[in-house]
Amino acid sequence: MNVDITGPKILYETPWELPVLGSFKLTETILISWIVMAIITGLCIWLTHDLKVEKISKRQAFAEMLVETADKFVIGNIGEKFAWLIPLVATIFSLSIVSNLISLFGVWSPTADLNTEITWAAVVFVLITIQKIKAGGFGGYLKSFTQPIPVLTPFNILSELSTPISMAFRHFGNILSGVVINGLIYGSLILASSALFGLIPGAVGNILSNVPILAVGLPAVLSVYFDWFTGVMQAYIFCVLTIMYISNAASEG
Amino acid sequence: MHFIALLTETANQDLITIVPWTLIAQLCNLGLQLFLIKKFLFKPVREILAKRQAKADEDIRAAEAAKAEADSIKSEYEQNMLEAREKAESILDNAQKMANAQSDDIIKAANAQATAIKNKAEQDIALEKRKAVNEIKDEIGSMAMEIAGKVIEREINEADHAKLIDEFIENIGEKS
Repeated sequence: MNVDITGPKILYETPWELPVLGSFKLTETILISWIVMAIITGLCIWLTHDLKVEKISKRQAFAEMLVETADKFVIGNIGEKFAWLIPLVATIFSLSIVSNLISLFGVWSPTADLNTEITWAAVVFVLITIQKIKAGGFGGYLKSFTQPIPVLTPFNILSELSTPISMAFRHFGNILSGVVINGLIYGSLILASSALFGLIPGAVGNILSNVPILAVGLPAVLSVYFDWFTGVMQAYIFCVLTIMYISNAASEG
Repeated sequence: MHFIALLTETANQDLITIVPWTLIAQLCNLGLQLFLIKKFLFKPVREILAKRQAKADEDIRAAEAAKAEADSIKSEYEQNMLEAREKAESILDNAQKMANAQSDDIIKAANAQATAIKNKAEQDIALEKRKAVNEIKDEIGSMAMEIAGKVIEREINEADHAKLIDEFIENIGEKS
């Protein structure tokens, strides 16, 4: 029994290659992302069809609650002037949470691929930079790297770049650790199961040792923490950091 | 997870690596999802919330208008009631005054009539009395003349005669 932790499968590779980018590889990450998007969009369409002004259904109440929660989350934390962030934060949150939890169905989680988080963090980084330039002007933005003394400029640049990198790796690391730990526990339980039931002599022992009896139950309990809790937590943390960084960037300068 | 291990025959991406194509794809996915979530969740829900808000505002406005109308009707009604009461009072007052005046008039008229009747009756009585007295006077005069003529059997002076009679009647009249 080998526990093999690798990246996503490459399902298809184009025969052509572009300079720099190379050949396009359709990985599990991209495919499952499309499934995740289809789930989210389908859910949105289902939730918001047949909306009424009065005598609303539970379904509509839930849809309104989602929107109001998103509003409260962004406006309550960083104020009315960032209301334009609400759809983006909601999008990242929903993509993140569905991607994290889709691993419960035994498929590859797109958030277990660093590229997904790098993309989101890069978008946030661009928004942070735009906010900083807006607040202090382009000169003010460049000048802020030499504060408080010019010697610190390299460190300031590093700290600026570390923001998206730390965001991406925090999310990625937590999800990957869940994948790794679940894989390890699952593999070790199968080994323990076959070792334990292999002690029974004769044909009964041979059959039972090939059935991973111990692997039933415990991984499910552990996945409550490693998949459910971490998955929800990391989606939430990513969104909190997004709005906090952007609001801080706007108030600087 | 176990299925990863089972799929070792296909090529796998490295566990931690940056693939530019995946970055581009995920960026497009993020943008597309942003658009979809805006279109299918935020837009319809916000529209319905705005509609509900508008409807609630309208209901409140309508209720306020209805209340104002009811208030104005009430005050108008009260005003009317007050006027009606005043009118009724004045009508009653007038009627009473008129009745009083009328009864006064009637009483006065009755009094005047009674007085007139009494006066006329007194006059009639006086006239009758005088008439009677005159008749009696004439009778007595003629009787006395007859008696005197018979007693003394002589013709007395006509003037003296009348004077005597008058004196006599006068005496009677005073005594009667």
